[in-house]
Amino acid sequence: MINKIKFFKTIALFCMALLINCNDSKEKVVFAKDKNTAKDATLSYLGTHDNYQDKTKYLSVFYHYYNKKILRNDYKNATKAIDSVSETMVFNYDFTSPFYSTIKVFDSLYRKKQPELKTTFVDTYLGNYYFDKGDFKKSCDYFIKICELEPDDYNSCKKIARAYYELSYVYGCIGKQNLSLEANHKAALYFESINNLTGMATVYANYVNIYRAIRDKKNAYLNCNKAIDCCIKTKNQYDKYMGLYNKICIYDDFADPKTSKLIDSVRLDFAKSTYKSDILNMAFSNYKALYLLREDKIKEAKKLLDELKPLVTSINSEIWKQDYESAVAQYEVMSDAKNLDIKAIQSKIGILKDNKQFQNLASFLNVLKKYSVAKNDYKNALFYEEEIKKANDSMGSNIVKEKIIEVETKYQTQKKQQQIQLQDKTIDNNRSTIAALILTLLSLLLIGIIYLYQQKQKKMKQRQIVAEEFTKQLLEKMEDERKRIASDLHDSVNHELLVLRNSFNTKTDLIDAKIESIMNDVRNISRNLYPILFSKIGLVASIKQMIKRLQNDNDFLVVADLQYTKSLSTSNELQLYRIIQEVLSNTIKHSQALAAKITILSTSDNTFIELRDNGIGFNVPNVLTAETAFGLHNIIERSKLIGGIATITSDKEGTVVTINIKK
Amino acid sequence: MKILIADDHPLTLQGTKSFVQSFGYNVIDTCSNGIAALNLINLRLPDIAILDIDMPGMDGLDVAEKIMVSKLKTKVILLTMHKETTVYEKAKEIGVFGYVLKEHAQNELEDCLAKVAVGKEYVSAFLNDDLLNDSSLDAGVLQLTFSEKKILDLIKIQKTNKQIAQSLFLSERTIEGHRRNIIEKLGLPKEKNSLLKWAIQNHSK
Repeated sequence: MINKIKFFKTIALFCMALLINCNDSKEKVVFAKDKNTAKDATLSYLGTHDNYQDKTKYLSVFYHYYNKKILRNDYKNATKAIDSVSETMVFNYDFTSPFYSTIKVFDSLYRKKQPELKTTFVDTYLGNYYFDKGDFKKSCDYFIKICELEPDDYNSCKKIARAYYELSYVYGCIGKQNLSLEANHKAALYFESINNLTGMATVYANYVNIYRAIRDKKNAYLNCNKAIDCCIKTKNQYDKYMGLYNKICIYDDFADPKTSKLIDSVRLDFAKSTYKSDILNMAFSNYKALYLLREDKIKEAKKLLDELKPLVTSINSEIWKQDYESAVAQYEVMSDAKNLDIKAIQSKIGILKDNKQFQNLASFLNVLKKYSVAKNDYKNALFYEEEIKKANDSMGSNIVKEKIIEVETKYQTQKKQQQIQLQDKTIDNNRSTIAALILTLLSLLLIGIIYLYQQKQKKMKQRQIVAEEFTKQLLEKMEDERKRIASDLHDSVNHELLVLRNSFNTKTDLIDAKIESIMNDVRNISRNLYPILFSKIGLVASIKQMIKRLQNDNDFLVVADLQYTKSLSTSNELQLYRIIQEVLSNTIKHSQALAAKITILSTSDNTFIELRDNGIGFNVPNVLTAETAFGLHNIIERSKLIGGIATITSDKEGTVVTINIKK
Repeated sequence: MKILIADDHPLTLQGTKSFVQSFGYNVIDTCSNGIAALNLINLRLPDIAILDIDMPGMDGLDVAEKIMVSKLKTKVILLTMHKETTVYEKAKEIGVFGYVLKEHAQNELEDCLAKVAVGKEYVSAFLNDDLLNDSSLDAGVLQLTFSEKKILDLIKIQKTNKQIAQSLFLSERTIEGHRRNIIEKLGLPKEKNSLLKWAIQNHSK
């Protein structure tokens, strides 16, 4: 019993734990990453950015696979392949024409055959493409297109988050810091909802750019460190160094005295690491060169810049090239190069202004300013100084700052609301979990109780059957024993007495009479023990014999109406004989009746026995509950054993016992 | 006269054998169980078989029944300790010729054998003698059955036929019949209320 209860408790606890676990994992992430998607080998090869280091092989693998799938009209896998490759290309800032045209062809021919959410990579690629080419307006349009979609799974959510991030970045570059911040907040919300650390890292990095533009040093530093933390957690080397590069940028931007030290330590770390990236290498070296120039270590700077040149030409990215060019230009100003191509720089300024690339514009203007100062042309220097101010103002004006604060508040409110919603949902979930738990527990309890009850019933029934069988056997054994003792007395003892009587040589009447009296006693004991030759004589004759004896011994009239046709087994007949004996004995002892009547009636399907007296009667329920009512219980139990039902009714007119035995 | 004796008590068997022989009968065989007895009877066809009732294997009643079913000429005398009339009635039903109690064999067996030998039936005079033990009543009352005595008791306390019938679970007509029998057995004049008068006179008894 106790074991069973323990068993149920354990089950209940287990269920509870299970439910809680399920809920936990569901609540934090809106869309879970589908881990079990089986990709074929080529797709997983294309999906790994590192494989792009062998660019020729990577692209040949892609085109071979892609063309084959297109030919077979397997657009689903073709889409997957071009999606992966476009991501790799964007990741590596490679916007060379063959793949660009592949994307364009896909866009016009096959895009419609796939769901909208699966083909956002086209817009992502084109957005990045135009961004790289400096056409920020077009770039924004492509990203906005993606942002207008609603996510339906992990991947689409990730892509939309990414698009918001890119949009934010572009806005940042063209100085619309309020829009940038707004888009970045959205990106953060989407990345958080899918618990994507890499995404969060890029978002933090972008916050850095925005806060840097609005000169919020504290928030810029904070987000910078957050980004690096995320990257370390995801173990993504590229993002980690990108984060560190950003840190250098802001340190530099806020003219932090620790900048130089930071550049050296990052470069050292990068050199030690097994991770290789031309872009990062160039970026760090570029900064180093700039700082060398500032520290007047012109020769070292020149050496570094020369070393970088082949690297820069191999990189197909305009933005990164401009950084390098700006550094070279500064070097040229510093080294008093007479052949400085002012016109080229000035023409670049025009392009940069048109494209609203204020960050690079500022550095070029700075070069021109320094050049003017070097030439003692202060008028131009002042002009450039004002241009620089304008450029910086465009990136983060006071008006913009106010708007940003507004956006910031909005974002915080939105975030709070989302949190509240999440909490509400959690509470709702918890409530339903608790309800489900209680229900489960209750039903378990109920099932347990029913089970135990049934077991108990079953056991009781079994025990009853065993008890009945035992009683039956006990009674039969008792009868056997009585029969044996009776016949021993009757046959052996009486015979011996007879032999003894006959053995006396001289007989006396006294001895004869004495022995005969003993023999009669023995005979009485014997027939009281067991009805003489019961199986031979039969039930009716035995009852009649009993009645005769009872009448003679007790002076009590018993009327009998016995219409019995042999319908019971001999052992059952014997039980019935005992019941009648018991009832008559009770009647004679207690009832003060004048007479009793025995009726036996056999029909085709039952045997009916009635024992009636006209005595004083008794209170049946009271007597039945009394401990001394062995006789009555004896009647009822024996009746049950022979398949009958005994009913006892009694009042002051007399007592009636009926037994109905069904065949 | 060929006689077979069966009894599972060796001493009794021996005693009966010499007793029967002493009357000049030819005891052809003896045995100590029912099955052997039946086989021997089938084999040797004695004129009379003296059987005990309580025997191992087959009891005397069974053996007698088999003899009757097989329609053998052997006549059966039961020599037994059983005093009950029910047993005797059963034996009579089967078709037994003689019924003698062992304890009275010395007095009755010779008569019994003589009667059965000539094809007559013989029943022990001592059957059920233990039922009648009240010697204080006079001869007339002794003749009454138990029911009749009960009815007489109720007549003594001046119960009507209807009341008597109710008390004793009998019908009024049965009571009326019993009354007539009682008057006859007691030798009373057949006039009104003679039984009531007699009953009141003998009330003290």
